[in-house]
Amino acid sequence: MKRIQFKAGRAISRGLVVLGLSVALAGPALGAAAPYYEGKSIEVIIPFPVAGGSDIWIRTIAPYLEKNIPGNPKFSFRNIAGGRGIPGMMEFALKAKPDGLMLLVSSATNYFPVLLGDKAAKYDLRQWKPLLVNPVGGVMYVSPASGVKRVEDLAKAKDLIYGGISAIGLDLIPLISFELLEMDAKGVLGFKGRGEARIAFERGETNIDYQTTPAYNATVVPLIKEGKAIPLMSFGQLDDDGNIIRDPAVPDLPTVPEVYEKLKGKKPSGKFWETYKIFMPSAFAVQKILWVKGDAPTEVARSFYTAADRLDKDKEFQTKTDKILGGYPLLRGDRLEKTIRQAFQIDAETQRFVREWVGKKYRVKLD
Amino acid sequence: MWDAALIAFDRFADPLHLAMLLAGVLAGTVIGILPGLGGIACVAILLPFIYTLDVHTAMILLVGSLAVVHTSDTITSVLIGAPGSAAAAATVLDGHPLAKQGQAARALSAAFLSSMIGGLIGTVFLTLSLPIARPLVLFFGSPELLMLCVLGLSFAGFLTGGAPLKGGLAACLGLLLGSVGSAPADAVNRYTFDQLYLLDGIPLVGVALGIFGIAEIIDLLAKGGRIAERISLGHGWLMGIKDVVQHWGIVVRGSLIGVWAGILPGIGATAGSWMSYGHVVAMARDREKFGKGDIRGVIGPESANNSVEAGDFIPTLLFGVPGGAPAAILLGALFFYGIQPGPRMVQENLDLIFTIIWSFAIANTIGAGLCFFLSPALARLTWIPFARLAPAIVVTIFFGAFQSTQSFGDIYAMLALGLLGWLMKQLGWPRAPFLVGFVLTKPTEQYLWLSISRYDFEWLLRPGVIVLGLLLLVSIVWIVRGRLANKSIPAEESSEGAVLLGKTPSVLFTFAVLVVVAAALYEAQSFPHLGAIFPMAATIPAVFMAAAQLIFELRADMPAPPPETRKKTKLALGYFISLAFYLVMILLFGFGIATAVFTFAFLYGLVGIRWTHASVYTAAMVSVALLMSWLLNLYWPEGMLLG
Repeated sequence: MKRIQFKAGRAISRGLVVLGLSVALAGPALGAAAPYYEGKSIEVIIPFPVAGGSDIWIRTIAPYLEKNIPGNPKFSFRNIAGGRGIPGMMEFALKAKPDGLMLLVSSATNYFPVLLGDKAAKYDLRQWKPLLVNPVGGVMYVSPASGVKRVEDLAKAKDLIYGGISAIGLDLIPLISFELLEMDAKGVLGFKGRGEARIAFERGETNIDYQTTPAYNATVVPLIKEGKAIPLMSFGQLDDDGNIIRDPAVPDLPTVPEVYEKLKGKKPSGKFWETYKIFMPSAFAVQKILWVKGDAPTEVARSFYTAADRLDKDKEFQTKTDKILGGYPLLRGDRLEKTIRQAFQIDAETQRFVREWVGKKYRVKLD
Repeated sequence: MWDAALIAFDRFADPLHLAMLLAGVLAGTVIGILPGLGGIACVAILLPFIYTLDVHTAMILLVGSLAVVHTSDTITSVLIGAPGSAAAAATVLDGHPLAKQGQAARALSAAFLSSMIGGLIGTVFLTLSLPIARPLVLFFGSPELLMLCVLGLSFAGFLTGGAPLKGGLAACLGLLLGSVGSAPADAVNRYTFDQLYLLDGIPLVGVALGIFGIAEIIDLLAKGGRIAERISLGHGWLMGIKDVVQHWGIVVRGSLIGVWAGILPGIGATAGSWMSYGHVVAMARDREKFGKGDIRGVIGPESANNSVEAGDFIPTLLFGVPGGAPAAILLGALFFYGIQPGPRMVQENLDLIFTIIWSFAIANTIGAGLCFFLSPALARLTWIPFARLAPAIVVTIFFGAFQSTQSFGDIYAMLALGLLGWLMKQLGWPRAPFLVGFVLTKPTEQYLWLSISRYDFEWLLRPGVIVLGLLLLVSIVWIVRGRLANKSIPAEESSEGAVLLGKTPSVLFTFAVLVVVAAALYEAQSFPHLGAIFPMAATIPAVFMAAAQLIFELRADMPAPPPETRKKTKLALGYFISLAFYLVMILLFGFGIATAVFTFAFLYGLVGIRWTHASVYTAAMVSVALLMSWLLNLYWPEGMLLG
């Protein structure tokens, strides 16, 4: 306790000094307070290992945030890996104060336990405020050997085999899509990563696969040029009202609901469609989020939004981080706040339906 | 292709690049020496610097450090018996007994030389296979990879020493421990007892450090004295060179095994070095000295563990699929520069690939050379009374175990496995099959699962599977024939083939094993479908073997242990309790204070050195630990009493 008080005391006195200095120096702009983050440092909790997707994401954009957040705070990082990201999330939920000095990066892995009602995931994402959001997309493709040349062929295609990691991870989205489109496709799960699943595709062990858009551009587009893969559809992105639209990274490809319309001649509906609508955004459209505790001072969010607006016009930032951000913009959290809140809400009926379905079809035992 | 190679080589004429390479080598060497710290710690330290460099310079720094980690980690494996990283555990088996016999310099120089040659062979092979690597990797489907894993597991049969039954049981226990956590297809959590920590399974670092490191430290402390008696160093290092020259065949085969283990995704460095060790033992005509200090047992795994890293670049760069943790980090760094490894890499970034290859080759040579010249000096460490070295080693091991996942679970697991490892050692249970079983569980189960769910049972008829199956059959026949002909069989040095603790503890331990495997079998019946196959395959034979072993032991006539054994056991338990005490102190007072108190109390109270010396030692220890924490950005929770 003593130390905290001492720290607080020091921070206040330092704050006063800074305030005094800036008032003295500001001269004409008298009355403008020092930026909230002046002289402060921000610790970001990363519930994943070093050099994982989310780790690289935040470490890459952090130097630009340091430059563009008013007051130029210093960033530091803490990886709490393992336990499906739950220990890292809990650390933030329990330890972070609403002062904007401890933030959290999250990814789809952290949302699915909540949506599926995993008891170990005792954190409530709706109590936090999204500062920055970065979407990612996903593209499905088939091998020519599958007999599918265009999406229209999917209705009569036989024996499609998909390689995935786990039915309750990102693979849920393609697996749900198979059900929605009533395809004769079987998921073989247990691969260690999407990269290994793609090797299995190249080997001919599987004949339908998906990759996130950055990996798709780097590893699948060459296969398409060689005639070893045929792109089918994307999982789509969200517009400001939460509707599923074409993915700007692959605008030529139809989305899953578009394919449904083409095959069935009507708008998608039913249980699988409800599931798709709930799970797709948290898997892709709002995949990476930088959070702060909900009751943090408004200056915190405002500082990050200022940085996001500045970066939106920063050419150097855009070319340098293009591949990491997957060709999608770094979005202000408030633009998507409504969508994000919706994304983490699931009705009891859909939750029960998904749990029963993965339990029966993929023998997943959820407790 | 060769133009690109030359352009890349030209980079090293730039003093900046050369300096970066040297910096990387130095960082890698130091981190490799520290037990438990490996490639991941290396990168965690270097990462902040990397963000300011261009991609080539950054790769030179990173690869430079990663290339030498598996060279210098041999030092602790050989001298102290605590594996410098998980992959170095195989070197402990023969390297450490050699050190105890006063031949540390010989073991080290042989290890470094074979490590260097292995790395170079790996690099050459990597370069030559660039054009054909993709089809090569694509040739191996899940069923073929499964057969490779099973073949690796069968090598455990060669490592059972003089006690085939205990060895088999140890392997089964390893398999069982490996199946803790969520099953490959996530269908079920096995043996997790609702502990979040156990969901991902126990990390390899904790297992290797516990079963070999902690067990060895306790044993050395209980024995007292130094690791080796002070004898003339002689020309130990020259002898090591001669050994490598004499066994050049092992070096070549070992490095080829290593490259293969690296190229195939999902096998990894640790499995690679164990496979190489297993093959050396399997091919040897005279096996009686393995585990007791056979130089071939050092050369085999050492020539493999560097070439694994070289082989690892193939799946990492050409497929974007990392084979091991260091490669995963490399991949992450490439992403950071906007480079997505994949099939295009060879066309678009060939010079970068060669920068990586050259960095690896040069760093590997410099690092091995550095360690090589250090080895006579390092060998002198074995003359220091071990109790004086112990606090530093214990603190480093705790540090190493904690930093990999920043979870106290790793330290609990390490201490528990340390006790198990010590008991196994005292009771004549070989530990090598245990680790082999543990390491290969995950890939074996994964590929078994994939093979069955993709092909049902048709996979058994694939030509690759049949060829590998025949190889497996030969290997099994070889083992059985060796046993029947009663060929001299390798035994782990420390156990001396015999039970050191007498009959009652021996029977009790076996009975405990029987209870554990029976309980695990009972629990396995509640697992659905494929999730149960692996625990069943491990526990059903284990129950029979444990029962048979129990009957043998009950009927056997074992001499009562001499009185000094009782004293030694008590001492060992005392030291073990002091480690547990250290853990409790960390929980209560935080890492800094606990380290200070533990180091000082251990040196002053238990070892009895002068308080002035103990204070200086303690101060040095604490400042180094805090410096490392700061470098690694490591967050030690505040103690409960001081929060």
